[in-house]
Amino acid sequence: MNKKTILTVLSVVLLFLFLWYGDGHLSTYAMRIWEEVGIFLMLAASYNLINGVTGQFSLEPNGFVAIGAYVTAILILTPAQKEAMFIITPMVPWLQNLHMSFFPALIIGGLVTAFVGFLLGFPVFRVRGDYLAIVTLGFGLTIRVVSNNTVPITNGALGLKGLPTYTTIWWCWGWAVFAMIVIMRMVNSEFGRAMKAVRDDEDAAIAMGINTFWIKMTAFITAAFFEGVGGGLLASLITIISPTMFTFFLTFELLIIIVVGGLGSMTGTALATIVVIWGSEILRVVEQPMDIFGLHIPGIPGMRMVVFSVLLILIMIFAREGIMGQKEFSWDSLFNFFKKNKVAQK
Amino acid sequence: MKRFLNILAVALVSFMFMATSSYSKEVKVGVVLPMTGLVAAFGQSAWKGIELAQSMEPTAKDGTKIHLTLLDNKGTKVGTANAVSKLISSNHVKTLIGAITSSDTMAGAPIAERHHIPMISSSATNPLVTKGTKYISRACFIDPFQGAVAAKYVYNNLHKKTATVMIERDQDYSVGLAHAFIKAFKKLGGKVVSVAFFQSTDQDYSAQISTIKAKNPEVIYMPSYYQEIALFCRQARQYGLNQPVLAGDGAEADALIKIGGKAVNGVTFTTHFDPHAAATPLTTKFVNLYNKKYKQNPDAMAALGADAYFIVLNAVSKAGGYKATPKKINYYIRHTKNFKGVTGVININPKTGNAIKSAVIRKVVNGKFVYVTTVNP
Repeated sequence: MNKKTILTVLSVVLLFLFLWYGDGHLSTYAMRIWEEVGIFLMLAASYNLINGVTGQFSLEPNGFVAIGAYVTAILILTPAQKEAMFIITPMVPWLQNLHMSFFPALIIGGLVTAFVGFLLGFPVFRVRGDYLAIVTLGFGLTIRVVSNNTVPITNGALGLKGLPTYTTIWWCWGWAVFAMIVIMRMVNSEFGRAMKAVRDDEDAAIAMGINTFWIKMTAFITAAFFEGVGGGLLASLITIISPTMFTFFLTFELLIIIVVGGLGSMTGTALATIVVIWGSEILRVVEQPMDIFGLHIPGIPGMRMVVFSVLLILIMIFAREGIMGQKEFSWDSLFNFFKKNKVAQK
Repeated sequence: MKRFLNILAVALVSFMFMATSSYSKEVKVGVVLPMTGLVAAFGQSAWKGIELAQSMEPTAKDGTKIHLTLLDNKGTKVGTANAVSKLISSNHVKTLIGAITSSDTMAGAPIAERHHIPMISSSATNPLVTKGTKYISRACFIDPFQGAVAAKYVYNNLHKKTATVMIERDQDYSVGLAHAFIKAFKKLGGKVVSVAFFQSTDQDYSAQISTIKAKNPEVIYMPSYYQEIALFCRQARQYGLNQPVLAGDGAEADALIKIGGKAVNGVTFTTHFDPHAAATPLTTKFVNLYNKKYKQNPDAMAALGADAYFIVLNAVSKAGGYKATPKKINYYIRHTKNFKGVTGVININPKTGNAIKSAVIRKVVNGKFVYVTTVNP
């Protein structure tokens, strides 16, 4: 093992030490937001794989997250709960009696989503660019209509309620770190180089002998798996899911994260997830009524959105390619930075 | 420039300190409402009601001040869960009011339940919201009651025996209420001759209208929101469908009459209260003050928001003012008896946390909402 690997392992250990400390000392609210950060990190990183690294402008995440959430939710609900919940039409019997623990339910949620991703890949990757965006946007809408109308499976608009809360900080960050390792190793492999080639110039990539269709599929299916698992974690964290939860706004939020972080940069995504998720919570301060030198300012609801938008605009003006651009954080650049500083001091 | 920045920084820091001035005798109450997002109109109405209620009675019996902290949930489940979590563990509130929709409330409820903090929703009508909980209550009636009231009114007062139900497929409110109506109507001996479905943003109802025409029911029950009801009525009247249309509390908005015009005349709906038919002295006082402050009549959301506040205030008074523990407050919220609120006399069932109260039936007559009757539970 070289020095850099040790450093990476050490920082992951440090991250978990922080979470372990936080679990006992930080408020449940803070831990909850960290849980959300973990889930969104996984979602955003996998979305970045398809959108940033492979350069395919796809708008599919809300559909995939919905599938993962529904599959996991159906699997972790007990038969008795399902019977009480399906008041309009009873659930189809073989699903009604299906019940399992959290981990296999998450894996199955991920696999089902990956399979849907596999099937979806054939038609959607026949088109590129804006057309791909439209086709995948349509897919997200379709999933929503389907979940509203397949009442014996999804309970329609009523949604699935009272899910057991299995999601803990360990589940969220365990999966987030696992997803980051898989995705970053993928990006730095033969596949990753092929993906980047597809992003930079697809025709040139084809000319170089890259099977661009399967490269895109690899990215798409991997992303689908992690988005499905993320959906399952989110479902168990919120304890209630319904079709309205998985609108285009979810995709939009992820899109903001990866653009702010830098398209194609996983470490940038990590930073941006923290900034975006924590940002909207911390900015709640500006909505509270304040007394400034005897001047009473009533709270203005929605003010944090305004401030947040201004911040996003500023980031886009001063860092056009996002916080990290296409670069990744690496130990080398950190060492170089310190070395330069030392030289400067001398 | 630098000096200016320094001064600015010092000023900012001092703002922060001044912003967190504290009161010694107070009870903190968290309010979670959708102030932005798709259902922001409901949340803003409820907040107006709560603010007015607080200005009417800002303190409990022993002089304890009720300190309200409002957090926006954007009308989302994740937002509600985060806001509830923040209010409990960072703001240390002893009681929560919120949220507006049933599904949002249910996303926040498990957190309140886990921390043993009472939570009272002003307008979550889905029966599952309080099911199996010890700390979740509500100030409104539940869907099965509202559906049953409509069914009884159709069967006993209008003497109509057949109905068609129009269900807005993607709204849990509509699906739940329709289900309750069908169940109650069948139990009374009525017959539901057909069920038609539509989607939220539908503009064209000709397909549903032609199936309804073929079945020729005596009434049409359409538990939906004002916009869909108004559009449906316009088209139904054009196609010569003249049966009475009944709806739930979602119909209550001035926009119903603005969009529907003459077509919505006769639309009858069940709701929580009527500003002109004062149920209690508090109703009159509240409606008058509301008119003075906001230059309009309070809607059901505002009245229910106010009731949620008054119920909490009453419970804090009984539980011992500023020394009250969340557990004690919860006990008195759940043991609310014969409380004369804005929307009428409220009793809360200690076992279920559901409010037992009367429903009001209103009707559109010549472009105005008119009080029809009050149905007691």
